[in-house]
Amino acid sequence: MYGSASTHDIPTKATTGLENEDPILLAEFEARIARGEKIEPTDWMPQLYRKQLTRMIEQHAHSEIIGSLPEGTWITRAPGFRRKMAQMAKVQDEVGHAQLLYSAAETLGKTREQMLSDLVNGKSKYSNVFNYPTPTWADSNVISWLIDAGAIVNQMANAKGSYGPYCRALDRICAEEAFHLKYGHDAVVHMATGTPIQRKMMQEALNRWWPAIMTFFGPSDKMSTHTEILMRWKVKMATNDACRQQFLDMYVPKIWEIGLTLPDANLRKNEDGVWEFSEPDWEDFKRVINGDGPCNAERIAVRRAAEENGAWVRRAMQQPQAKYVRPLA
Amino acid sequence: MLSSFDPRISRLELPESAPPPSDKAALDQFPTYEVFHQRKENAAYVYVGPVHAPEADVAFLFGKEQFSRRFPCTGMWVVLTSAIQVTEYGDDQQSVYDRLPLPLLPADQLAAADAAGMESYDIFHLKKRGKAHAHVGQVSATSPEAALQAAKAAFGDQRPVVNVWVIRSADLLRSDEADRDMWTTTPDKKYREAISYKVQDRIDRFKQEG
Repeated sequence: MYGSASTHDIPTKATTGLENEDPILLAEFEARIARGEKIEPTDWMPQLYRKQLTRMIEQHAHSEIIGSLPEGTWITRAPGFRRKMAQMAKVQDEVGHAQLLYSAAETLGKTREQMLSDLVNGKSKYSNVFNYPTPTWADSNVISWLIDAGAIVNQMANAKGSYGPYCRALDRICAEEAFHLKYGHDAVVHMATGTPIQRKMMQEALNRWWPAIMTFFGPSDKMSTHTEILMRWKVKMATNDACRQQFLDMYVPKIWEIGLTLPDANLRKNEDGVWEFSEPDWEDFKRVINGDGPCNAERIAVRRAAEENGAWVRRAMQQPQAKYVRPLA
Repeated sequence: MLSSFDPRISRLELPESAPPPSDKAALDQFPTYEVFHQRKENAAYVYVGPVHAPEADVAFLFGKEQFSRRFPCTGMWVVLTSAIQVTEYGDDQQSVYDRLPLPLLPADQLAAADAAGMESYDIFHLKKRGKAHAHVGQVSATSPEAALQAAKAAFGDQRPVVNVWVIRSADLLRSDEADRDMWTTTPDKKYREAISYKVQDRIDRFKQEG
């Protein structure tokens, strides 16, 4: 699971559009969520709910597809047969997760083809961390362990959200994830407790990735009307800050216990149990997410090449009389 | 040319920047199929998700790849999404059968309907919103609407029923008992199990050597 831990491009200034919704239907919708019931695709839902969920699930799906590229790179060069097999199985899982998520997003009305188009056209975002390279095997290990861990924090929360198809997809995804986290941890521990050269390689990879990891959950939420509504509707289940704190609480001790350090002198847990850290460089984050990162061009180019190279297969299988129908659930 | 840490990507000789491709045509838009799986022998078939495929055989292949590669699975059914008749969704704790209009024909006349026109239908119930539809059984009827009435008679005492799917049995492509070997591939892939990674010993040893 690579989940785009924060949804990019939340329209903070746009109106919620709630004044245009039918107040009776809206009240019923909100009452259902307040009762703890899930929303199913044929239920009435506000435009904002549909739009925000589509964007969120779609970005999550894109992140699975794009996130499998830096790890996939290392399959052929993973040290040893067993690690090659495991790395391949993990990448295969992630691509499968993308399929599950695209299907969940489709139930909201946007077709899978449109989502795939928007990805290769650069119209949709994916998790920004994948715009950075994996120059060594240790970098791949950092993704396997810590990026997956960050995504799991977020996805475990989202699995309790209000939209039925997304919950069904996440239940399955989370079940498959248990192996990823253990596999990633094992790989990092192996390097960190290995020879001095292995140890150095792991420390350097962690230093490279830490700034990106700290931006993974997105900037502090402005407590806008939007955030408040999306949390009430159980679209957003926890603030970006809450997710980041949970991640630090769970994983910093595990990083420290194997003798690795983190490249932030201000990182510490204060007396109130809250993690303090240097504010990530959000200007750099913005620059990279808008296209100017070290790997943006490569990620999209590879995805486009895959699309183009597979087109003849799809064309060969196409049944002219076949008609697209949105999945049911 | 795009140069990458991954030599395989560099070998693709992709342009550094290219104009964005045009939107994918409807050409690529396959129909959707809904997939049901059976997690162990004699368990009910449960809805597991959709796949996109040009035809049922391919949908079955995709379904097998997507939904049976990681966890035990002993059987799979696929059906074209458009072949499923769906009732409205009720609230949790309720039964949508309660909302059905009265049958157009009394039950005895319904049963006496032209035997030649009778077909078998598979019935699936959703017990709770956010969970998955599960197979409850088969009924014989002359139409999907009549099948729903027959399902109410046969399974209407089960509760809650948030939603019902009615599928003509002939429309379901089912895995064959004779091919059951195809589901027995997973146990030897231990490296995909979390339990195969026992890292604590190594951490403890590292700390002791500290």
